[in-house]
Amino acid sequence: MSQQTLAEKVGVTRQTIIAIEKDKYSPSLEVAFKISNEFKAPLEEVFIYD
Amino acid sequence: MDFSYKEKGLIVSLVVTLLIFGWYLYGAFSNLSLNPELPGFVEIIILVVWVAVLESIIQGFLALKNKSQLEDERDKLIEKISYRYGYWFLSACIWFLMVQILLDARFDHLPVLTTPYGMFHLLLLFFVLAEVTNFVAQLYYYRKGF
Repeated sequence: MSQQTLAEKVGVTRQTIIAIEKDKYSPSLEVAFKISNEFKAPLEEVFIYD
Repeated sequence: MDFSYKEKGLIVSLVVTLLIFGWYLYGAFSNLSLNPELPGFVEIIILVVWVAVLESIIQGFLALKNKSQLEDERDKLIEKISYRYGYWFLSACIWFLMVQILLDARFDHLPVLTTPYGMFHLLLLFFVLAEVTNFVAQLYYYRKGF
């Protein structure tokens, strides 16, 4: 899945997806759940809290 | 450097604001005298309209190249935080000016700044700088993240 596709499905911009991947932005719970739903994985597998 | 649509828009706004208001304020402060005429209301409106029109034209060209102009939660958060910085800067400047008017100490050697003309353009300068602070803060957060 491309960043653009994921962004469109989740309802954010591609730049936001890039910022999340680079750890420059922490998404809201709503967006985090939407992302994990797209990957059909639990939240803890998609996001790691340091 | 890869700039997003929002960042390009901010750079355009910053440059246009600095160019037009910078040119106007440079002219205004260069012509300071004790009894100059205040600029007319229409002149100020024309100046603001020029800034808005130029920005709209350039933003229009940028929009042609971008498929999505969606403003998402990250854009809104950055905007909210950056407007706060602009507000703080403007508040500090207004407080400074208020204290100076009351004390009337600093401007003893620059009485022109206490004239209506000088005060008007100082306030305009503060507003412009607050906007610049806002734009720069937004660009900083887009580049560096949180």
